[in-house]
Amino acid sequence: MSTVLEKFKKYRKPGYYDKFDYHWTMSIDLDRCTGCEACVVACQAENNLPIVGEQQFAMRREMKWIRIERYWEGEYPNIKLQFIPMLCQQCDQAPCEIACPVFATYHNQDGLNTQVYNRCIGTRTCAVYCPYEVRFFNWFTYEWDEPLEQQLNPDVTVREKGVMEKCTFCIQRIRQAKDAAKDDGRRRVRDGEVTPACVQSCPTEAMVFGDLNDPDSRVSKMARNPRGYHVLEELNTTPSIVYLKRVHTDG
Amino acid sequence: MSISVLEALAHFKKPVLVLFAGLAGFVGGIWVNGTYFGDASPVQPIEFSHRIHAGENEIPCQYCHVYAARTPVAGVPSVEKCMGCHRSVAIDKPEIIKVAQYYADHEPIPWIKVYDVPDFVHFTHKRHIQAGLECRECHGPVATMDRITRQQPLRMPWCVDCHTKKEVVNGRDCWTCHK
Repeated sequence: MSTVLEKFKKYRKPGYYDKFDYHWTMSIDLDRCTGCEACVVACQAENNLPIVGEQQFAMRREMKWIRIERYWEGEYPNIKLQFIPMLCQQCDQAPCEIACPVFATYHNQDGLNTQVYNRCIGTRTCAVYCPYEVRFFNWFTYEWDEPLEQQLNPDVTVREKGVMEKCTFCIQRIRQAKDAAKDDGRRRVRDGEVTPACVQSCPTEAMVFGDLNDPDSRVSKMARNPRGYHVLEELNTTPSIVYLKRVHTDG
Repeated sequence: MSISVLEALAHFKKPVLVLFAGLAGFVGGIWVNGTYFGDASPVQPIEFSHRIHAGENEIPCQYCHVYAARTPVAGVPSVEKCMGCHRSVAIDKPEIIKVAQYYADHEPIPWIKVYDVPDFVHFTHKRHIQAGLECRECHGPVATMDRITRQQPLRMPWCVDCHTKKEVVNGRDCWTCHK
């Protein structure tokens, strides 16, 4: 029991999370986001997300690893519309990780907040703890009608009933990039070699993905932008996603 | 007057016989299932012998399983590859005639996969071969087998044990192998 406690203390020690091989980070420039939802569609196709259907949608069982949140500001006629793409923030101090009774969600060496489907027993505690509401539960084993099952991504598991799932930062693409790096005899992945599906599909290039450990990477430069902020920063979850605040020039 | 317990048990003769017959059938069924229908050593559509090919004729593994060192999947050779030799070699054997028939019909041979990992596992031959592993470390002495029999359980402890022993970098992270 005491060893478990010691391990847990070490795990929660500040600085434990600083020693990553990589620190995958995404920056989202809200000034550029047009709310077109191309990222949502790309994510759906890449990560084998099911279409839950009208009835389940009404019961708020929709599965979208990334969604576009709309915020209306002001009164008519001075209405401003604000879009915020919301996906798993890959928090360094993730509330979901301490909640899981079976350690199905944990922090790996790449600074990713990962979810192991095989270990998940579906208590849904993590979804309750998540302040960003980006964890989704498989209420059923969903089926893909013909010929939609032909477009399932073989690099991603088709999740079954009773497991929690969430954005993985397209870990299959990260794995592939590392594989390619090994083939070239490099130890590390170069900047720009990994692009998650949402980043790849963004027509305005509002999203940038990369390694924060590398000070010269594009995302590091974006993260140093004075417009940068984290969503719900006051909760001390230290998210890995940096949003760049939208600047309204019309007063 | 002698009392025999057998007389009292005579009533149970039939059920006991049935029970024993059932047990024998059960054991025999397990044997038949394991030998002829088991997924560890399935009967293939063509009685292909690795012993003859890899053993006696010493054909290297990657002559037929060409993708093993380059891609995640080792690859089962195409019928074309078989016919590459068997247009001229052993064409009169009944099994080769079957292969020729598949070739003539433009049909792939429906081989049964022996080493199959679940869909949630990411396994790549490339990384393992480039790390210097020999084929036989997982697949066993294939060159002595007529019909391929699975040598390893292909279960997670087996994977993790090896990753731990060989000190694979991040080899015990869940997402190294799960997907």
